Amino acid sequence: MHCGKILSRIMDEDPDIYVLDGDLADSNGAILVHERHPDRFIMSGIAEQCMVSVAAGLSNVGAKPWVFSFAAFLCYRAYDQIRIGVSQACTNVKLVGSHAGGFTGRNGQTHAAVNDIALMASLPNIKVWSPASPGNLQYAIQQMVKDPSPAYLRLPREPLADLPSQEKEWYWLQPPQAINILATGITVHIALEIKVLLEKMNIVVGIINVNKIAPIPESLVAEVNKIGNHLVVIEDHYRVFGLANLLSVAGVNCKIHSKGWGMEFFGESGDYVDILNAYDLNPSDIAREISNLI
Amino acid sequence: MVGIKEQLLKEQSLDEQLTEIREQIVDALIKSGGGHFGGSLSVVDILWILYMKILRIDKDNYHLRDRFILSKGHACIAQYVILAKLGYFDSSELANYGKYNSILEGHPNMLKTPGIDFSSGSLGQGLSIALGMSLGIKSFNADAWVVMGDGECQEGQVWEAALLASRQKIGNLKAIVDNNGYQEYGWFYDKNLCKIPVERIDEKFQSFGWKVLTVDGHDYQALEETFKEAQSFTKGPCVVIANTVKGKGYQLMEDDPIRFHCGELSESEYKKISKK
Repeated sequence: MHCGKILSRIMDEDPDIYVLDGDLADSNGAILVHERHPDRFIMSGIAEQCMVSVAAGLSNVGAKPWVFSFAAFLCYRAYDQIRIGVSQACTNVKLVGSHAGGFTGRNGQTHAAVNDIALMASLPNIKVWSPASPGNLQYAIQQMVKDPSPAYLRLPREPLADLPSQEKEWYWLQPPQAINILATGITVHIALEIKVLLEKMNIVVGIINVNKIAPIPESLVAEVNKIGNHLVVIEDHYRVFGLANLLSVAGVNCKIHSKGWGMEFFGESGDYVDILNAYDLNPSDIAREISNLI
Repeated sequence: MVGIKEQLLKEQSLDEQLTEIREQIVDALIKSGGGHFGGSLSVVDILWILYMKILRIDKDNYHLRDRFILSKGHACIAQYVILAKLGYFDSSELANYGKYNSILEGHPNMLKTPGIDFSSGSLGQGLSIALGMSLGIKSFNADAWVVMGDGECQEGQVWEAALLASRQKIGNLKAIVDNNGYQEYGWFYDKNLCKIPVERIDEKFQSFGWKVLTVDGHDYQALEETFKEAQSFTKGPCVVIANTVKGKGYQLMEDDPIRFHCGELSESEYKKISKK
């Protein structure tokens, strides 16, 4: 809900921003825009391909459209429209994929988006943001508003709990150590759980929170390479072609330990805690693996 | 552009102009090793009448212009020839159509070619993009026009846009279907199934709440009158079903619409059919 609230306030000052929604406004926060700026809210219905292309057309004539849907439907259903109308045409379209990742609640696998980073980060021109807190989200949205490039904002289903936030594309949430965890979005909170478990074993880890994950900030690569040693990358995404891969391609040369969903996972109905404990992002398992690195 | 149009109309009749344009289309496609003859020749009368008589494009107030998308982007050589004639770029560029480093890509590229409002090539997207444009230019009193193929109307996204446009009662979105009755391969060789790309396409658009006009897509006067009628209809979206002949203007191509959807022409064939 926070995204809709922040954007609706920004729209008070920017008359060119429009919001399009694919019939999920009361689930993804776009409803708050509809309530405050009904004249600039375009309900597009259950028609994601049309919605994205409408946004491309609107952008082409000077508007600044933000397109809201669940990440799965936005990225997968409308991928060709994003590829051509947003990436290739480099239109100022912002894509908001809510309910991203593998924690789908009761919704289950059809609503899971566990390779959306792979899809969106491999399209030229599209920046990808993955905030971990309301403060991170505020910063991400402000940066997206300032930048006329197209962008994809990835938000989990779970509400983003508060964290110390900095107005940066990435920052140290916990100071650097011999072993560091790099996380994004909801996995920053998982990283904090892991940190607590490790402290009981007298192991201290650093935590990097990456808000802008594509393109990977050069300063992040430089910092990680300076620190060296081990980097545990945790993402609410398949291990393949997500954040760990992006870091590697961007030139991170220390040992990357990739923690994400395995290919046997599609998403599944279940509460956040049930899914967290049942599969590859189990904090106890990851903490144990990290302790074995020492 | 108004000046160039007036000049052209003084110098030649529409028939003469379109004969010359057809020759240039065939020339350019031969030079590029073949191409989409059929669909380029079926759509060219529609495009010429649109550009010459209907689209309001003033270079001094360019941002207030009517927008145009050739959603059946594979027929773009027809649009390129017309844009060259209207002075958007030099006609010498036509010889480079589809070649490396050319400003004329194989399908319309808005970032490379002057006069192209939006890229196309992946069928089915143009109507939605034009809908977005029409929403954004309402206050300018400008229209967004889009030309689709009938085969293209098999894409589901076309009907998503048709539904939304009708719900919005958008009055400045004008669609045209180049209804030439064929596609690349389709069901042409199937003994049992209907071959028509979209049967009763006029009724289908009507059932989606659109104003439907039909016209002979090669009758210049009828095209102009029908487009003007579409222009003046503002209660909701309007589609013109233009009935055309694939490969129009060259009997060899009209007789073999599947071969000339995207085909080659030998030198001896070219010599026979050329009107030069």
